[in-house]
Amino acid sequence: MKFAFPEWPGHWSRQQRSSATMVLASVVLVVLLWLMAIPLALVPEPIGVNAQSFAEGTRVTVQLTVIAGLVGIVIGVLAALGKISRIPPLRWIASLYIWVVRGTPLLVQVLFVFLALPTLVPALQLSDFASACVALAFNAGAYNAEAIRSGLLAVPKGQIEAARSLGLSSFFTFIDVTFPQAFKISLPPLVNNTVALLKDSSLAYAIGVVELTNVGNRIQAATFQPLPTLVTTAVIYLVLTTVLTQISGAVERRYDVEGRQP
Amino acid sequence: MSSTPLITVENVNKRFGAHHVLRDVSTHFEAGQVTVIVGASGSGKSTLLRMLNRLERHDSGRIRVDGIEVDDDLTHLDALRRELGMVFQQFNLFPHLTVLDNVALAPRRVRKTPRSEASAQAMDLLRRVGMEAHAHKYPFALSGGQQQRVAIARALAMQPKVMLFDEPTSALDPEMVKEVLDVMKQLAQSGMTMVIVTHEMGFAREVADRVLFIDQGQVAQDAPPAEFFGAQANPRIRAFLGQVIH
Repeated sequence: MKFAFPEWPGHWSRQQRSSATMVLASVVLVVLLWLMAIPLALVPEPIGVNAQSFAEGTRVTVQLTVIAGLVGIVIGVLAALGKISRIPPLRWIASLYIWVVRGTPLLVQVLFVFLALPTLVPALQLSDFASACVALAFNAGAYNAEAIRSGLLAVPKGQIEAARSLGLSSFFTFIDVTFPQAFKISLPPLVNNTVALLKDSSLAYAIGVVELTNVGNRIQAATFQPLPTLVTTAVIYLVLTTVLTQISGAVERRYDVEGRQP
Repeated sequence: MSSTPLITVENVNKRFGAHHVLRDVSTHFEAGQVTVIVGASGSGKSTLLRMLNRLERHDSGRIRVDGIEVDDDLTHLDALRRELGMVFQQFNLFPHLTVLDNVALAPRRVRKTPRSEASAQAMDLLRRVGMEAHAHKYPFALSGGQQQRVAIARALAMQPKVMLFDEPTSALDPEMVKEVLDVMKQLAQSGMTMVIVTHEMGFAREVADRVLFIDQGQVAQDAPPAEFFGAQANPRIRAFLGQVIH
């Protein structure tokens, strides 16, 4: 599927266009979330009367995904850097984190952050929404770390040598040379992880967050009409993942200076 | 020459595991001089070049570039890499940046030159290597020879005192070798100090002030090109020249 873009001003750099793409797509998403109750209200019983609840649940699902997704990418970058660090303790910490998070169910992690963490550290008594964000972000971060690490390792050594021999510090070598190339390589698996995160955010249901799946289940239980409610729930998820893959596809095309994608 | 050499290499050793790549090498490079390093592959010539700007570290001995000790001290490394420009066999242009941004990046980041000024300077350098018409292309759209000319401009952007070339034409199709060598000749004529690892014997004979022959990790001969390519007494060098000159 192609995403229609306006003609950009010719003097804009690729970075500016990329940023503009992301801003535009985010605006589209916000408008969608804001106004989605209007078309939903036109759908017959039992959806129409519950349009506001669906809209509210969708907003919570998107909030969970966006917050956990962005934090998860930051955590992923840090954990990837930790795992390829020359300092052994950093490597151990990153490996331990990835090992534990990938090796345990997300549902257990969500319950742990909400219920068990406060008994360990009373100051960490978080709301249900915040707990879900923390658990999802750390979960996504572990998977993102491996995606980003593979991207970092795929950047040829000659690139780093060229940057260093030009006198760039290791910081600017990372910011200007290694990371942009690694991120481009990591993008498809990162999108995979983020789509999975969008759907996994439904596990926040277990600690009482009123997100989309929670809303759908409550409505089907109250109306005894599982078919239309669950189909609506599923369709909303499908629309959200579609928007998400369109955004990421646009970003990927922006990074694709060689025109390797059709 | 009476001046102190720009680069001195004293008793340098380098091992890759059990392989003793460089054995107690001592030499020096004068300002304004064009030195061509030749030798069979695996002789250690690229390693010697890469040690000058610390892309390889030497195990023992001492290297100084314009008074800067080549070691792990970060301030030394920063100063060192400002003095030395490097051109690689595989060009190593940054594929995600335009030609212009490839050249302008280091001045902007290292010298904090404003973007517009750095771009103007980059444009001047691209004109010097005949690549100004391609400034807004990405490297993938250029031929190997064009990429290497951009790589030379990129290294020159930091205004180095010495340019190091690591087999700059070895990855090029034959018809593109000349355009790169022409740029290098022009650079040599401008008085740039150059250290070049190459298999281009014609270039060495014509442009070099001095030829260093590295054999089994040692400097086997250090001679002006006329002498090196003339009545060569060393049988190993005669054999080498017999193989590379067609």
